[in-house]
Amino acid sequence: MELTNTFTVPAPVDEAWARLLDLPAVAPCLPGATLTDSDGDSFTGTVKVKLGPISLTYKGSGRIAERDDAAHRVVVEASGRETRGPGTATATITATLVPDGDGTRVDVVTDLTVTGRPAQFGRSMLADVSARLLDQFAACVADQLRPAPAAATTTDPGHGTDTVGAVVADAGPGAASTAAPATQHVPDEAAPIDLFEVTGARQLVRRAIPYVAAFAVGALVAAAVARLRRRDRAT
Amino acid sequence: MIPVGFDYVRPSTVEDAVAVLAADPDAKVIAGGQSLLPVLRLRLAAPTTLVDLRDVESLHGVRVAGDELVIGAMTTHDEILHDQRVAEHAPLLAAATATVGDRQVRHLGTFGGSLSHADPAGDLPAAACALAATMVAVGPNGRREIAADDFFVDYLTTTMAPDEILVEVRVGDTAGWGFRYEKFNRMAQAWAIVSVAALVRRAGGGVTDTRVALGNMARRPVRARAVEQAFTGTGGDIGAVTAAAGHADEGTDPPSDVNGAADYRAHLSRVLTRRALVAAVGA
Repeated sequence: MELTNTFTVPAPVDEAWARLLDLPAVAPCLPGATLTDSDGDSFTGTVKVKLGPISLTYKGSGRIAERDDAAHRVVVEASGRETRGPGTATATITATLVPDGDGTRVDVVTDLTVTGRPAQFGRSMLADVSARLLDQFAACVADQLRPAPAAATTTDPGHGTDTVGAVVADAGPGAASTAAPATQHVPDEAAPIDLFEVTGARQLVRRAIPYVAAFAVGALVAAAVARLRRRDRAT
Repeated sequence: MIPVGFDYVRPSTVEDAVAVLAADPDAKVIAGGQSLLPVLRLRLAAPTTLVDLRDVESLHGVRVAGDELVIGAMTTHDEILHDQRVAEHAPLLAAATATVGDRQVRHLGTFGGSLSHADPAGDLPAAACALAATMVAVGPNGRREIAADDFFVDYLTTTMAPDEILVEVRVGDTAGWGFRYEKFNRMAQAWAIVSVAALVRRAGGGVTDTRVALGNMARRPVRARAVEQAFTGTGGDIGAVTAAAGHADEGTDPPSDVNGAADYRAHLSRVLTRRALVAAVGA
């Protein structure tokens, strides 16, 4: 199964490229996640996904499989396993950065393979969950990039607020402070954007993980549900 | 298909139930269990404690208060279906409830549980929006009332906090209004691919009020405001119905899935809205 998502960040492509590959720095932007280890091109972490009656925790690892600095294209392979169940998921995520006006457009293609179980929901979670995760992630990264760190060129500090400001504003205190550009260590208690902050469910784990892994895991939960519904029907 | 172990409590008051939820963020309310139990059995969730509300007497039953119908959150679909006051004062709700699941589901599933689950493809969230229902929730900080339009926030997400419980739903009197619940699905007892709940009030030959809510056309049930605006004030003739129904998908964000693509749903919403308005207005 293939998922396609796009978001934009208010920074030139080179700056956005450097930031998005700085896993410890962008990790706090993905909700429900904890980065347990990060070593250059590989990482491990967990992500907790909570939505309605569903509450799942996945543990997984990933690595940067390909990296093309000239074309601004990166391929990440990640896999995860449910901590309290038999479900697994593997994902290959390809992100390509393209200049877009003053900012950068990020195209993300996720190829998912999921094993898991059915559920009974009227609406497939796939698109909703992945879109929400990525929206939150994009808003957080955009917020990180907006204060224009050292290497910034002509980034307009206000650029992008119209599209993402409303979401960022709900992130709660500390969300932006994790954006210190020189961050080298994974914060134990990062304060990333809470995926469900805007929706009023505030009891979620608020930790960090490489966005790719978390995105994959979030999407895989959705994919699991979607697949299960199909299996349900077949029985 | 066996759930992860959990504790089970069956309080007899809302306050006791709220106290359990407030003390344990991993506790979970269970009403009729028609959505939660499968999730537990599939191990898509592993709450520490289930708080069963069936013994809370105040949450059961239907009563009339002033010009409103007050429906306890634990009232089952079947009870609503066979309640004379619902049939009289909120026939749209009865019509929508009749399409929920199958007979067994309707005997166990509850009105409040279905609303709290907030599946945008569910029948009752859309009906509640069209009825402009008021949700009453109780939490550690007391009681609050929430308009249906504000209650549903996102996919499977309401504005209620995890330690709040939906206790009752207040529905204004729509006796005398024309009504119709249109649900489109591929199989009996399936979820709606798209659904339309419509209420139309006529007076002196003209349409004086219109309420239309759509199911599964966004991440939450939505009112079709453009349709309501276009139809209210007209003579309610077939031309007006067709013109108004053409606005049904305005401002919606329908999903694409195995049951249909977004543009298919957009088209379907216009077709179903037309059918619903025709039936509701008696054109």
